Amino acid sequence: MKEQTPGFRVSFLKSAVLSNPVLVQMVGLCPAVAATTNVRSAVLISAALCLDLIVTCVLASALMKRIPRAVRVALYLGIGLALICPLLYFIETYTLMNLGLSTKVYLPLLAVNAVTALHCEKVAVKNPVRTAFSDAAAVGLGASLVFLIIGTLREVLGSGAFAGIDLDLPISLKGLSLPFGCFILLGFLAAALQAFSPYLRQAQTREPDAAQPQPAQADVQDDLWSDILEAEAVSNERLAALDEFTERLIGGEEDAQ
Amino acid sequence: MKMISTLLITVLYTVFVQNLVMSAGLGMSEAIRLAAKPEKFRSLAVMITAFSVITGTICGGLSRIPAIATLPFAGRAAVYGGVLAAVYLLAALLLALLKPQDRRLRGTLGIAALNTLVYAVPFLNEIAAYSFAESLFSGLAAGAAFVLAAAVIGQGAKLLANNSNIPPIFRGSPALFLYVGLISLGFLGFTGTSLFQ
Repeated sequence: MKEQTPGFRVSFLKSAVLSNPVLVQMVGLCPAVAATTNVRSAVLISAALCLDLIVTCVLASALMKRIPRAVRVALYLGIGLALICPLLYFIETYTLMNLGLSTKVYLPLLAVNAVTALHCEKVAVKNPVRTAFSDAAAVGLGASLVFLIIGTLREVLGSGAFAGIDLDLPISLKGLSLPFGCFILLGFLAAALQAFSPYLRQAQTREPDAAQPQPAQADVQDDLWSDILEAEAVSNERLAALDEFTERLIGGEEDAQ
Repeated sequence: MKMISTLLITVLYTVFVQNLVMSAGLGMSEAIRLAAKPEKFRSLAVMITAFSVITGTICGGLSRIPAIATLPFAGRAAVYGGVLAAVYLLAALLLALLKPQDRRLRGTLGIAALNTLVYAVPFLNEIAAYSFAESLFSGLAAGAAFVLAAAVIGQGAKLLANNSNIPPIFRGSPALFLYVGLISLGFLGFTGTSLFQ
């Protein structure tokens, strides 16, 4: 038990913070932008994303390694729907929570979110269950952390309230409740993360990393989602050179020229 | 004439006023992916448009069946998701039979079908209470909205990469987020929303 704790800490630091799915890999933007206008929605979306991500990754690692990739990605959708639709039904029927229209629509959309598909294909199906769980938990926490920060900032600064309680602030920045405001907030959060990355990397190198997930590299070229990773994911080494990320975003066009 | 103007308004509304990528982040990951792989622009755009039209139209038809129309929202979401999965699997099967060697195209197919933009189209058609023809044009317009957003993001990413004046901590994803935010603000202008009311 003592040996697993530092491993998860390293895994968390890498998957949740340094390679944050939302701020660095730029996936899972749809729930971040549209469904995190307040803290309550952010909590709900975060919980649903973590549930979907962890269960799908564990099932993919345990049962789907021999299933063809084309069928597997459809199964991710099926698992997501099997988890999220009953959850949505339960919330609507058995609780008094009045979900806003956007939260109601965006909950089922989590079943096709890129974060789950990416980590199932890139990590879960190529690694043992424990590694898949560890990676999914860390990534889910990383995305949830961003959703909660964004949800809090947008509700407090945009609506002058926190969790529905009016804070009676003298000014409100209405734009933050709108999608463009969220993109701008995400930009500043991503910049803050990049500013602190060197210190976090130093902390990471001091930790033993025996238990951190090591995605299998075989068959990467044919991986369904490898293009997303090529374009968006910044590996631990490449975090040292921040410029490379943008260069890779337009790598195809530069090659053509 | 009224029918044509209604369909035209549906298309213009979906592309500009409610551009799904810029106003809701739907399909944003795929749009950014296209910025990195411009050679896939055409195939991915065509596939996303096709899946939006087919899934939106089928779900629009199904939602008129009383047994489905009376389901709770979660039930209809499951039905729409099932339709999307079935359409994707059918397309994958056809592609495997017709072009068995083209693994890259099969990879693109998964990304084009199973994304938030395509899955959101049936919900938006339902909320807007679109007719069959309007659902068809709404799907087409969702594809057009994606093409427009992906083209704008791609050009922006290229300009940002060549801009050496950007401070180091804003290079990469932060600059792209801010750029997308400003473009999204531009699209907000089509809605007539005021930030100062």
